[in-house]
Amino acid sequence: MDDIKQLLASLHPLERKALPHLKEGISLKELEKASGLKEIEAMRALQWMENKGILKINQALKEVVALDKNGVEYREKGLPEIRFLKQIADKKELKVSEIQIPKDELNIAIGALRQKAAINLRKDEKGELVVSATEHGKGLLKKESMEEAFLKLLPLELSSLAPEQKFAYDSLSKRREIIKTDVLKLRTASITDLGKKLMKEKVTGNFIEAITPQVLRDEVWKNANFRAYDIKINVPKIFEGKKQHYRAFIDNVRGKLISMGFREMAGPIVESDFWDMDALYMPQFHSARDIHDAYYIKDPKYGVIDEALMKKVKAAHENGFGTGSRGWKYTFDVLRTKRLLLRTQGTACSARKLSSKDIQIPGKYFGITRCFRYDVVDATHNCDFNQTEGFVAEEGLTFGHLKGMLKMFAEEFAQTETIRIVPDYFPFTEPSAGLMAKHPEMGWIELAGSGMFRPEMTKPLGIDVPVIAWGIGIDRLAMFALNIKDIRHLFSHDLNVLRQMKVMY
Amino acid sequence: MPTITFDINDLNKLVGKKLTKEKIQELLDYSKGEIEAVNGNEISVKSADTNLPYLWSVEGIAILFKGLLGLEKGLKQLKLEKTKDTVIVDKSVKDVRPCIAAFSVKGARVDEYLLKQIIQLQEKFCHSYGMKRLKVAVGVYNYNKIKFPVYYKAVLPESVQFMPLGFKREMTLGEIIESHPTGMEYAHLLKGFKSYPLLVDSNKQVLSFPPIINSEHSGKVLPGDSELFFEATGNDRGAVQLAANIFAFAFAERGFKIREVTIDYSGKKEQSPAFFNDSIKLKAEDANKLLGLNLKETEVKHLLEKFRYGYDKGKVLIPDYRRDIMHPVDVIEDIGIAYGYDKIPLRSMKEYTLGGTFPITKFVDKARELAVGMGYQEIYSPMLCNANLLYSQMNVEDFGTVEIETPMTELFSCVRTWILPQLMELLSSNKNAEYPQRIFEQGMVTMKKDLKDFERMAVVTAHTSASFTEIKQALDFIMNNLGVKYDIENTVHHSFIPGRVGRVVVNGKGVAYIGEMHPKVLANFGLSVPVSAFEMNLTDLFETIKK
Repeated sequence: MDDIKQLLASLHPLERKALPHLKEGISLKELEKASGLKEIEAMRALQWMENKGILKINQALKEVVALDKNGVEYREKGLPEIRFLKQIADKKELKVSEIQIPKDELNIAIGALRQKAAINLRKDEKGELVVSATEHGKGLLKKESMEEAFLKLLPLELSSLAPEQKFAYDSLSKRREIIKTDVLKLRTASITDLGKKLMKEKVTGNFIEAITPQVLRDEVWKNANFRAYDIKINVPKIFEGKKQHYRAFIDNVRGKLISMGFREMAGPIVESDFWDMDALYMPQFHSARDIHDAYYIKDPKYGVIDEALMKKVKAAHENGFGTGSRGWKYTFDVLRTKRLLLRTQGTACSARKLSSKDIQIPGKYFGITRCFRYDVVDATHNCDFNQTEGFVAEEGLTFGHLKGMLKMFAEEFAQTETIRIVPDYFPFTEPSAGLMAKHPEMGWIELAGSGMFRPEMTKPLGIDVPVIAWGIGIDRLAMFALNIKDIRHLFSHDLNVLRQMKVMY
Repeated sequence: MPTITFDINDLNKLVGKKLTKEKIQELLDYSKGEIEAVNGNEISVKSADTNLPYLWSVEGIAILFKGLLGLEKGLKQLKLEKTKDTVIVDKSVKDVRPCIAAFSVKGARVDEYLLKQIIQLQEKFCHSYGMKRLKVAVGVYNYNKIKFPVYYKAVLPESVQFMPLGFKREMTLGEIIESHPTGMEYAHLLKGFKSYPLLVDSNKQVLSFPPIINSEHSGKVLPGDSELFFEATGNDRGAVQLAANIFAFAFAERGFKIREVTIDYSGKKEQSPAFFNDSIKLKAEDANKLLGLNLKETEVKHLLEKFRYGYDKGKVLIPDYRRDIMHPVDVIEDIGIAYGYDKIPLRSMKEYTLGGTFPITKFVDKARELAVGMGYQEIYSPMLCNANLLYSQMNVEDFGTVEIETPMTELFSCVRTWILPQLMELLSSNKNAEYPQRIFEQGMVTMKKDLKDFERMAVVTAHTSASFTEIKQALDFIMNNLGVKYDIENTVHHSFIPGRVGRVVVNGKGVAYIGEMHPKVLANFGLSVPVSAFEMNLTDLFETIKK
């Protein structure tokens, strides 16, 4: 009995209005009429009551014959052939041109009447068409035609037509836009046992719906019950604002690096060969550049490089610039070094920072830099991507410190202390090392590359202390963290994907 | 990064010890190598160091492994057998391809597997280190088919014809360049030269047309051959000599005797292979300083010898198959690797440094937060796009774009100059997603003028009743919360409807456009809902409000 009480308390006003009028097999239309509810209100009431197990909605389809565009007109004015016939019935003969009927209906009328042998047509001496009604035709006007009677009765259910109606239906169906057949849904309700019990209860109306200012001001709530809601009901989803998943991941990386004492650095998107490669002691003609196939720009082709600095870098390439190195031993191309391209590696920003006046030593720096490579875009390659890298410059740094830093990165970015530091190769560092980290879920991954910048690189840039360089493979971590299988989805333009993407914490 | 394939049993035979796959990977760590694939006894190894081509052969790997395992130690040197064989170099090659190195071998037999290994090393060396044959190209021949002296000269393309390797008819050098598949592939290396390099013997039999192709006559090595002739040509003398040295050491590992060839540069004679006998000075303390170790000189010597260097009183003797040592740091790395990276004690950073970012980064992040707070979904797009999207589809003229000279695809042929077009494209491809669609993107663009980068933000609302009022409210919300006073002036911008577009001005500087998108633009993107938007230059805004 408590269940019934609770159920009663949860009825919406529309349900309460509908409930007393329910009976077995009642249709939606009947409920509308009986309860005075609008169609949409009655429908909602039925649906909600169905959700509550009070009734069950049965749906059946039925075909209904209704008036079409011309049919509406003909029901009012009469069928064209009848109107035609009426005008000639009491005359001996009439010129067709004198009959008052719209032009587009004339042929229809003549066609229909000839078929019924109701008129005679002939040409007079002037060649004009004249018409007269036959006896049979005159007789037709004495009673209402089956078609006219049928039109007046519409709409009718197709399956329940009487034989005469069926005849009229068939005849009118052949003509243009007089009648049409609509498929309608017929909804009826059958009452469940629960519903039957409920209908025995007294449905009172003293429930509070919305909490209006009036309800509060007049303290109505003190003497009334609150209508209980169906709190389990599904509500429409909303899509509000949130950060893009990959961008949020990068924000997080930036925050971590800042908290580890790294200061952000940056550089231009359009770089010169000088900063992108030459200043990193990558020889102008060497296979190490094969891995950096680049996007050179159309116009302008060349940029401006500080001549004094360029001379030093040139000397480093050619003879080692007094670093104790013999250099690459080739003639440095001073034009090629000015060639402009889209930045291929974030290390360009490190070179710029190392040579800048505002560099602080000791100092830790990082860059999250947009880089570009000549690559076919597919599930594992983007031609447009972010690199995360930087350096630490400090007197007395050793390979031991590099290991210490890599361990810190493993803890911070892969949540692990299980690491291996293995020999690796980068054109601008010696010694070089790779960081393998055992990620708790991904297993062993190549997390970072690192090394001590070569003296041939740092000295021309004005740096005399050891510099540890590092780069972290952020995209792979991002794809794992975001559960993305295709690298292109880091920049997804699919709104449904973006809206469904979970946030990270 | 070259990958080579060889048989594990072969490696074991060369090393003289049975090694498991695990042990091989452990040893490969020392050479920056990685097992890529194992297929039965066949193993594929990728080498990370593009500067150490001796490791692109199983013989080179074996030389290093023997040192690491303590089976051999120190510098490996080759004994050469004297011969009267000479290659006479004509002055005519000076411009086109001036350098050559050569030697011959005998005393062992080539089988099918070894032939594959020779071709593999030849291909990897010439492709990667040899810069696709520009710097170095290598040829191997049947020694018995050659009558010395051999002449290396440049000849007119139509003056000589021979049967190229694998072909059944004779072709002139010009024909080979024009119609032979290998000739066409490498034709660019000889572009602009009147004469082409040629190796021809005393019987006027062509050995090869370097750097293109060998002859069928002598340039075809078959299983069962036991005497071979080797040559390398190119434009970098050191690189050509390195090629000869690496091959000589590899053949010697297989039990071949290496026989000298005299290279006669117009009377100036030199022996080949020309060993570098190179060395570099090293102080143990420098190694200790860089690695963070405390090694004694004897320990340094031991580690160097393990890595197949020699050491003599502060001087590191460099193997003749290496040419990558430029600075003591290069040797110090190998000392560190030989010592074991994992054994070097780990140290913490000692200096405290203050982290931080740029003021503009903090500023744009606040603007992003405000947009998110208004219920806008953030978007992140690539920076590469195309002029058609940026301008034609937006109904405006190009406003100065950085274009790529040789784009891979027209879709990504320039750097974006504004962001709104990409957001319009997004709306266009998301017509099936539920409306309202409220999106924004904050990010960098690059202008051709002064090649300057700017931080910008585009904010877009699209739904059946999107209006100027709604987008102006959004602009107003962001500006108010950033504490920026602004005016909106009437302006013309053909992406927007005339009379419904404004220029947002702060301190007299235009920083944004705002308006209802023109139906023409909507039609270009196939959109049938109204769209309102603004796009703001955050770099300019930040600079003007800071003053």
